[in-house]
Amino acid sequence: MQAQLDQVVHEVEKVIVGKRSVIEKILMTLLAQGHVLLDDVPGVGKTTLAVALSRTVGMAFQRVQFTPDVLPSDLVGFTMYDRNSGDFVYRPGVLAGANLLLGDEINRATSKTQSALLEAMEERQITVDGKTYRLQNPFIVIATENSVGTTGTQFLPYAQLDRFLVRLSLGYPDYEAQMTILRDRQQGNPMEEVRRVMEKEELSVAQQETGMVTMKDTILDYITRLAMASREHVAVEVGISPRGALFLARMAKARAYLEGRDYVTGEDVQAVFVDVCAHRVLLRQNVQEAGVLQVLHELLKKVENPDRRHLFQGMKKV
Amino acid sequence: MKKRWIGYAVWLLLSACLYFFENNTGTRVILICSLLFPLIPYFRAAFFSDRKLAALRTGKFTRPVHSSRQKKRISDFHRLEGDEPGDLRLYQPGDPVRRIHWKLSAKKDELLIREPAPDQEIQEAEQDAAAESLPCKTSCRGPLLWGAVCVIVLCVLLFLLIPEAIWGAQALCNRIFAASEAANAYAYAYFPVPEGQSVTLALALIAAGVLALLSVMVLRRCRFIAFVLLTAITLFQVYFGLPLPGWIDILLYGALALWILPFPADRRAIPGFIGFVLLVALLVALFFPGVDPGTEAVSERVRDQLSRMAQQWSGTAQELPEGETETRHVHTQSLLPGLREGQTDREYRLVTVEEEQISIPRFINWVKTVLLFLLVAALVALPFTPFLLLNARRKKAEEARRAFASENVSEAVCAIFRQVILWLNETGHDAGNLLYRDWTEQLPCAMPPGYAVRFRACAEDFEEATYSAHDLPEEKRQRALDLLKETEKALYPAVDWKQRLRIRYWVCLCE
Repeated sequence: MQAQLDQVVHEVEKVIVGKRSVIEKILMTLLAQGHVLLDDVPGVGKTTLAVALSRTVGMAFQRVQFTPDVLPSDLVGFTMYDRNSGDFVYRPGVLAGANLLLGDEINRATSKTQSALLEAMEERQITVDGKTYRLQNPFIVIATENSVGTTGTQFLPYAQLDRFLVRLSLGYPDYEAQMTILRDRQQGNPMEEVRRVMEKEELSVAQQETGMVTMKDTILDYITRLAMASREHVAVEVGISPRGALFLARMAKARAYLEGRDYVTGEDVQAVFVDVCAHRVLLRQNVQEAGVLQVLHELLKKVENPDRRHLFQGMKKV
Repeated sequence: MKKRWIGYAVWLLLSACLYFFENNTGTRVILICSLLFPLIPYFRAAFFSDRKLAALRTGKFTRPVHSSRQKKRISDFHRLEGDEPGDLRLYQPGDPVRRIHWKLSAKKDELLIREPAPDQEIQEAEQDAAAESLPCKTSCRGPLLWGAVCVIVLCVLLFLLIPEAIWGAQALCNRIFAASEAANAYAYAYFPVPEGQSVTLALALIAAGVLALLSVMVLRRCRFIAFVLLTAITLFQVYFGLPLPGWIDILLYGALALWILPFPADRRAIPGFIGFVLLVALLVALFFPGVDPGTEAVSERVRDQLSRMAQQWSGTAQELPEGETETRHVHTQSLLPGLREGQTDREYRLVTVEEEQISIPRFINWVKTVLLFLLVAALVALPFTPFLLLNARRKKAEEARRAFASENVSEAVCAIFRQVILWLNETGHDAGNLLYRDWTEQLPCAMPPGYAVRFRACAEDFEEATYSAHDLPEEKRQRALDLLKETEKALYPAVDWKQRLRIRYWVCLCE
């Protein structure tokens, strides 16, 4: 299974050059059954990434470009009176058939639409006129936010941000990657070369196996201490929520699985900590100069890691 | 069984008759011994090892585990294995570092260990087995108590019926005092103390005694109470000038000393110790009564000096004129030769008591006694301390080594890796709150090439051992052992003696 997952990363890397770590993190989110919030400037390949990913794993891809007049019924579908048969017929929306939904510029949608999407993300089901429909399995939403040109937009409230497993950012490619991208696009579209290396049923199996990765109490203790420390930090208004801690554990498991291990180590937690927690931490108004990332790195440095704690248990502090 | 009691009754009758017909020391001793006869098993119990004690309790005397033939067989077995007694072998992690043969190790470029002779190991094993065979400690107290009671009864009878024993004890005490004061004299002769500083000196002595006592007592917390009581009693007597009668003091201090002594094993040895002292006292009384005039002269001089100092110290400022001290000196001198060979110590004691009453305020005597007591306690306690520490170290090292060879490879890898980290910690190469796999950049550059790679591999093994649910393959244990060996070899020569001590201490602490 790990070989296949590696293959997936490799295939996606054909079109998204030099962003291996981001691709891996999105794959981890997929394994952890979470959703991604991509916070980025336009034109760095968010859509390309989503399309390539859906191709390699054989998932049905849907895309919504959010604008202020996108309505909840566009997403979840609606029931319509059919004059011929004389009864109401359900017309499915974008969500119904999608394995991978790319929600572009989610901050431009009205809050009503946003909350419809977020509910579907959380429950993995939609309810229209009292009837409940299950969504596809696997189901992942990759929502994007533009950090520039934000006039007339509705920012996601904190409570809704909390439901995304990770908040990532692709960022601009470096010189080498930029050259490669340009060179590849001269003759044809590299998207054509992306092969399907995995079926979505296999992905479901992988998701289940991810859930069974061993997680010792030492690691859970570490996660708990990290969360507590974030709540007690002087510069922090709102720390990592219990759901945040839960997501952190799930993401760490996914990373371990992707690395080909059946146990979670402290390194897994550290590697995903910033991505999982950065959008969950609100700083106090008066200490804005210390960025969130700085605070999180400080936490990682300060909180005793599980290796050390395990080894020196019952011993005096050095 | 009954026959034995009848025989005993007859014997008792005979000895009683003997005592009534011919009343002298010999017949008294015989009578006492016969009276004590039935108590002898308990008496023996006080001196016996735990194993025999347990046997005594259950009524079954078993043979020792290793007869001499078995011992020989075991040592033969060792020989076959290639472990000659006193042999050298390669160092394995967990071996006590003090057994490393440094000279040869330096020559061979490999750490070599002096193997202890097999007999020693057998004895150790035997002791361990004996200790383990005891179900619990409390059940041994009955015979122990009886043994102690027997000894006390015996001592009292001895003192009551044989006057020589009292003389002997007095002579012995006097000798001890004289010897200690002679030692003081040498100390004052070689390290002259300015007069103003005598208080500091005394305080330092007290502190030394207290420290020595503490070093024994910290081993168990409850003994602290005993120490506090001891101090309180002493202070009470010294400062409020309310000395208790001598025998109550002896009982009190004795009981507290019993409490303070660290092990039940030591307590078991106390009756033996008292008995030994009494025997020596008796011998001294019988063969060397009186006091050695040479020692006595020295101690007399010192006493003068001490009393002068004490007066300055206490501030009573009863400046004795030079002449008076001189006359007292002369007075003593004139008395001393008067002590005949074979004369009892009683007369001598009377003389000294008289002298002390002339010269020294009473509570100064107490201070001196307490100082002496503390000094003696310090001297008694100090030799115990390193032994206890070393013994603990030996046990801990063995325990750690047992973990290295444990069935569960994960556990073994954890234990070994912990040792590696301890080494790094103690030699100041701690990389702080980093995951161990990330320590590679922080490792000291003095390490052999490729060490960082091996360290990382082992750190990953350690993670697997700690966080995974499955067991590890055997070769990972070997890899960790190799790393530990390499680390020790690379780091040990680089550290100074203080850190070496700390390392050893840490090795004790880590389980």
